[in-house]
Amino acid sequence: MSERETFWVVILTLAGGTFLLRSLPLWLHGRAPAPRWLERLLRHVPAAALTALVVPASLYTRTNGSYDIAPARTLAALAALLVAVRTRSVIWTLVTGMGVLWVAQAVLGALGW
Amino acid sequence: MSRTTASVLAGVRAVAPIILGIIPFGLVAGAAVTSAGFGLAEAIGMSLLVNAGASQIAATALYAEGAPLFVVVGTALVINARLFIYSTSIAPVIVPEAGAWRVLLGHPLVDQSYAATMTSGRFRDDISVVPYYVGSWLILAFVWQLANIVGALGGTLVPASWSLDFAVPLVFLAMLVPALKFRADVEAAIATAIAAALLVPVMPMQTGLIAAIVIGMVWGAARHHEHPRVEVDA
Repeated sequence: MSERETFWVVILTLAGGTFLLRSLPLWLHGRAPAPRWLERLLRHVPAAALTALVVPASLYTRTNGSYDIAPARTLAALAALLVAVRTRSVIWTLVTGMGVLWVAQAVLGALGW
Repeated sequence: MSRTTASVLAGVRAVAPIILGIIPFGLVAGAAVTSAGFGLAEAIGMSLLVNAGASQIAATALYAEGAPLFVVVGTALVINARLFIYSTSIAPVIVPEAGAWRVLLGHPLVDQSYAATMTSGRFRDDISVVPYYVGSWLILAFVWQLANIVGALGGTLVPASWSLDFAVPLVFLAMLVPALKFRADVEAAIATAIAAALLVPVMPMQTGLIAAIVIGMVWGAARHHEHPRVEVDA
């Protein structure tokens, strides 16, 4: 098998596996009664999943698999959190977060961080 | 404008702010494929068929390092395991409207389409949730594909120092705040935040992310009291 064919095997296997992960619960839904404890567990998935996507990205930067603390990102995320709570606006949250990040990176950079 | 079109456009609008943020990821994913020695066909095929950015970058990088195939695919699937939790969670929202096509509706499930649908789309009665969900994915998939192609052809155009990748967690943050309706939601978020801060850097292959989500959902479920009247303070 050529390198290219092997890579296509990786692509297709990964695509098939990912499709199963995404689609199996949709296919199963309604075919078996959902137990109460499952409903209870699933209620908090949006809050948990979004937090899990936000927090590491606000604390660390990752280069070549190693995590370094990122104070500029943490400051920017805290400012964005305040704006998100007060305004409930995606745009203002985004503008504040990016603005504070750029300023904090410049300031911390000038201080030799 | 038909209700379906309006719903698709509402989905597009919901994720529009995140588009800037996914461009750097798409460029990296495309550039990874060509730097591993493959071409445009592989870059396009991979993002069309796999449609999950972090796993694409990881699989390509591991393949280029010469890792065994089961490690390449296994790692990428572990990264995508959160999609199984998303799917279980979103099923009651989209399956009733989906009909015979329900299995195909798995493919548009990405972080952004899940977040938009669960925190906003499902509460709106002026739109239909399935076209909203598909619309939120369509615009992302289109931009993701373009960024992959540009990345494959020309490498990463956007300087890393611009930190545009940070737009993605910022938009998730903006979506998170209105999702914190009940005390148990807030507690689930705090438990997840602590777990993610501690576990993500030390656990391999993004398994820390999944562990943090599971810890948050279990904590939230344990703290969620549906019948306060039967609760007795000890």
